[in-house]
Amino acid sequence: MLKVAIVGCGKIADSHASQIQRVKGCEIVGVCDREPLMAKQLYERFPVKQYFSDLTTLLSEAKPHVVHVITPPESHFDIAKICLEWGCHVYVEKPFAISESQARRLIALANERGLKVTAGHDDQFSHVARRMRTLVQSGFLGGAPVHMESYYCYELGRSGYAGALLSDKNHWVRRLPGKLLHNIISHGVARIAEYMTSASPQVLAYGFVSPLLRGLGESEIIDELRVIISDEERTTAYFTFSSQMRPALHQFRVYGPKNGLVLNQDQETLIKLRGPRYKSYVEKFLPPAMLAGQCLENLGTNLRRFLVKDFHMKSGMKYLIESFYRSIVEQTPVPIPYREILLTAKIMDAIFAQLPMEGSQPQQRLTSAVNTLVV
Amino acid sequence: MQSDTLLISPDDLILITGAAGFIGSRLVENLLDGGYRNLRCFARPSSAGGRIEALSDLHRDRARIEVFKGNLLSPEDCAAATKDVAVIFHLAAARGEKSFPDAFMNSVVTTRNLLEASLLHGCLLRFVNVSSFVVYTNMQKPTWRLLDESCPIEKHPAQRGDAYCFAKVKQEEIVTEYGKKFGLPYVIVRPGYVYGPGNEGITGRVGIGTFGVFLHLGGSNRVPFTYVDNCADAIALAGLKQGVDGEVFNVVDDNLPSSRQFLRLYKRSVERFRSIYVPHALSYGLCYLWELYSKWSEGQLEPTFNRRIWHSYWKKSRYSNAKIKMRLGWMQKVATQDGFRRYFEACRRRVQSA
Repeated sequence: MLKVAIVGCGKIADSHASQIQRVKGCEIVGVCDREPLMAKQLYERFPVKQYFSDLTTLLSEAKPHVVHVITPPESHFDIAKICLEWGCHVYVEKPFAISESQARRLIALANERGLKVTAGHDDQFSHVARRMRTLVQSGFLGGAPVHMESYYCYELGRSGYAGALLSDKNHWVRRLPGKLLHNIISHGVARIAEYMTSASPQVLAYGFVSPLLRGLGESEIIDELRVIISDEERTTAYFTFSSQMRPALHQFRVYGPKNGLVLNQDQETLIKLRGPRYKSYVEKFLPPAMLAGQCLENLGTNLRRFLVKDFHMKSGMKYLIESFYRSIVEQTPVPIPYREILLTAKIMDAIFAQLPMEGSQPQQRLTSAVNTLVV
Repeated sequence: MQSDTLLISPDDLILITGAAGFIGSRLVENLLDGGYRNLRCFARPSSAGGRIEALSDLHRDRARIEVFKGNLLSPEDCAAATKDVAVIFHLAAARGEKSFPDAFMNSVVTTRNLLEASLLHGCLLRFVNVSSFVVYTNMQKPTWRLLDESCPIEKHPAQRGDAYCFAKVKQEEIVTEYGKKFGLPYVIVRPGYVYGPGNEGITGRVGIGTFGVFLHLGGSNRVPFTYVDNCADAIALAGLKQGVDGEVFNVVDDNLPSSRQFLRLYKRSVERFRSIYVPHALSYGLCYLWELYSKWSEGQLEPTFNRRIWHSYWKKSRYSNAKIKMRLGWMQKVATQDGFRRYFEACRRRVQSA
């Protein structure tokens, strides 16, 4: 039986505890939060053996094999490091660390100790993301991706978290180098990193505070971001984060030399874009009919999965957890290659390095960034 | 109120958390009207404090109203806010929060911080914890039986599938625990559904619009309404009256309409919309099925609807305000008819401006 512990008992801890208890062959031996009441409430609501308010007490008394680190990101590195030093495998929620250098150090430590780590990029393991991966691996694109577009949007108005963040000048999110973006965009960036082959792609980022937030007196939370990523001029990608555009997309588009794919995370649909064109008016009629057919096929797949109780909102997280545990027990490769974790962190570092300091003008910044790229 | 039955004098310092909120702002007004001259209003930095500031201007010559902007999750803020305070009215709550950890943190951890801070200063005469009817289980009670302060509260609040209920039960637990352990004097107030301008929604006790059409679930049930001014009056009394430490008071108005009467009035006074009546047996069956499916599917659908929530929200019950009338001398100042008139006017304005 794999012994699992959770460190950090905030909002996302519920998802972890729910999904862990669905995975066979493991048990939650302890939960920990520096606020004992928070640890206790999680312990009371889930089948958990003990609760703690001190990390080393958890590690010494509960003796977990795996620790899920789901505290605010600025503490990920220190907590994951301690867990690795105690001989535990570590699942770290996104963002894996607050810089590539921290991510590199954690991975090196894990390798040194013969332990495994993974990042909480669970969106990459939803049913639809796995279907996309299978198609790409089977050569559907007709070669390496030529271009990708990743949209990861966020509706500020629908989130209590956003309210707390905007109202609190000392909120932990404000202490992150990329602030709001740092806590959110890694899902969307990781999708791009998966299909990039270079270890150091060029990154051009442009971010600004939306008029809505500026109107609320906010000047430091950047909630609009556009990024161009170029992989040694072979593969390019656009990344878009927006709090204002509607619909608030969570989409990933990948185009190869022959065909393309469009993944819609919210609707869990995958649309195949056919490269070759039909002749004359056939192009106007047949592809729309085929598109309708694909939509129906997606509907059928989703319904079927729902009916066999395999369509949980966090199914990607369960799959990732299960795969990670299996990689530990069976000594197989980790579900997310370390290269991808590092590349995601590196792209994010490059983005945040280019984001404006408070008070500078967006247009000046863009011009300056373009000049830098041209030079 | 007779002054010899009061716990504090008009110059003693009173702290109100959630002071900028729907009930909190009415409570501040109520206390000022009652002659209390030394108020500290705790509000989040983002709170729109317009109403408090207007009251402060209005009572500038007669009262000192301090607006304390802070975070109840900060023990330092709590320590500063509770300094020299004689009575705390704790209204800040995580209402509408769907996440259990967030609701818990913003109701229970915050309450613990306030209680700890109060113990530190040692000058508190009463802690008024504003809870809710949601804490009652109503499971074992036969249909139509009276729900009053003697009824049991939910023993397994996590199973209700309602983060607010869980947080409120745990909040009451911690207040009671501090009362027992440290002798901290407290009173718990449990309002029914508080309505009025500022809260223009239709309570889930009447029905839900989750599925695209309004499902009317209340039928002939009485709905435990209390108009916001009446509720604020009850809370004020619970904090000021001597000799009620450790007691619990339900707050509901008189002449409560049935869910069907309310819906009819709402449609006539505010806006027409389509609703479908779901008989009690059917709503119970659907809740039970949802609960079973949620369990079978390992939470593919969250147990948002279940038998516990049905008993709490949609089971036929009667309500009493006898205790608060007798022990605190509370009287309903705004008649139910007037309350609904003001509420429907506000609803109409909201609909027109939407």
